[in-house]
Amino acid sequence: MLSLGEPTEMIRLGAEAAIYTLNWNGMELVAKKRIPKPYRHPLLDKEIRMQRTASEARIISEAKKHGVACPAIILVDLDDATIYMQRIRGTEARNVIGNLNRETLSMLAKRVGALTGMLHGGGIAHGDLTLSNVIVDERMNPYLVDFGLATFTKDIEEFAVDVHLLDRSLQSTHYSLREEFMRSFMEGYGTILGGILHKILEKVKEIESRGRYVERRRRWG
Amino acid sequence: MGLLLHKDDKHPRELSLWEALKEGTKVVLGIESTAHTFGVGVASSDGRILANENRVYKPPKGGIHPREAAQHHARVAPETLRAGISRAGISLSELDGIAFSVGPGLGPCLRTGATIARTLALSLNKPLIAVNHSVAHIEIGRLLAGCRDPMVLYVAGGNTLVVTFSAGRYRVFGETLDIAAGNCLDAFGIKAGIGPMPMPELMAEKAKSFVQLPYTVKGMDVSFSGLLTAAFLKLKQGVALEDVCLGLTETVYSMLTEVTERAVAYTAKKEILVVGGLARSKRLREMLDTMARERGAEVYTIPDEYAGDNGAMIAWNGVLQLLSGMVVDVEDSRVKPRMRIDEVDVKWFG
Repeated sequence: MLSLGEPTEMIRLGAEAAIYTLNWNGMELVAKKRIPKPYRHPLLDKEIRMQRTASEARIISEAKKHGVACPAIILVDLDDATIYMQRIRGTEARNVIGNLNRETLSMLAKRVGALTGMLHGGGIAHGDLTLSNVIVDERMNPYLVDFGLATFTKDIEEFAVDVHLLDRSLQSTHYSLREEFMRSFMEGYGTILGGILHKILEKVKEIESRGRYVERRRRWG
Repeated sequence: MGLLLHKDDKHPRELSLWEALKEGTKVVLGIESTAHTFGVGVASSDGRILANENRVYKPPKGGIHPREAAQHHARVAPETLRAGISRAGISLSELDGIAFSVGPGLGPCLRTGATIARTLALSLNKPLIAVNHSVAHIEIGRLLAGCRDPMVLYVAGGNTLVVTFSAGRYRVFGETLDIAAGNCLDAFGIKAGIGPMPMPELMAEKAKSFVQLPYTVKGMDVSFSGLLTAAFLKLKQGVALEDVCLGLTETVYSMLTEVTERAVAYTAKKEILVVGGLARSKRLREMLDTMARERGAEVYTIPDEYAGDNGAMIAWNGVLQLLSGMVVDVEDSRVKPRMRIDEVDVKWFG
């Protein structure tokens, strides 16, 4: 079985996968392993984990092609449902933005907007775009991580859901910064997406009015 | 609300009805008529179900036809009402309110129940209470299973929802993007000639091998229509019925368990309540149990009689609404076939 060495430390455990860190030839990696679910039929379980691993790896590499800053994939071990990828050194954006001056905050938000624009322009919706899934390095460069719920799509609604979820996550964790952040975010987002921006914004408004997403993602932020 | 027993109490104290009425206990009659079932229940504010009489429409062949189901309801209504009242041992004049399912459901069926409820309320001069069917499923579950603040999986022929209470309402975490889970299994069973649930699940127990079918979870949402089509296709290709049944039921239940798990993981809730007709499935319960054990959570279920559609749940929700002052005028009691669960202010939660 393919492997790049023993994982050392588990740094995150989600509903679906565990994230470990490991060192490979002096390079810091993370391994994202989809955990078997004992409630599922073993054949079905294996199929789902392999499919999702392959799809996530494909999406990440496609995102990279479109210039989105995200982890570089080193190896995909389908049998073990594990993706080995570059470890992004930095801090979750949600722990950073409270300590920035206005100028830096607006610059960071613009960059996150541009990243999201590139992703959407490339036909990918992130599916779980919150500030926990944006890592910021010491030079204030943002990276997108966790593409576990991402999909290839041309549907404007799915892009709008990304924008909406980001806004909601700010509303619950950084209410006072929300307006400033989203204004700059939209600026950066618009420079990449141009023409279709207003269509997406219309969709965002429509989603907000439905109310369906209001509470359900609040804890994700 | 002072009349309600403490929610921890799994065994409501026994009062004779006479004692209860003397203490000021409220008694509500509830009418359920959203789909197949015409039900009459009677519940009291000390947390007791005094009657639960249900008559289920069985189509001669195929699935449910809304108008025919409504005609069935109108036909059985007088007898069901009499049975409910006599079982409760109460006279109509002693009731404190008349509750009915206002939605979501099939229009003709809803209107039949609503008409009966309005007639009773007007002629007896009692408050009319419009109950959301989905909320009622949850509340009877909380009452009988004895859980406080659960993540709820509501799975039935017409509904598939993962919901929990937050900020005054039951909020939707995940739901089906097309047909309901129960609808998928029923439709398959009927068209395959074995009949609706539980037939597909019983058939699956005889399977010899596992058939892969499309598994569609999108974030927190599920989709079953592609799965149903694929299952029919397998049959057409000559795959054994038992094997398709296994593939189908395993896939449906796994999808439901996965979205429930995600919701539980995000909210860290420790109680999982399963309600709706499909809550009767043994295999689904087993999967949820396995998942819950790993997460340190517990699965709560209720007796079959109260899991599917029934009159008692409407009566009990009627009690809760009556005590919260949530009654309607006849003019405002129009049925809402597409009513959403998150439209309802759940004032009594606590």
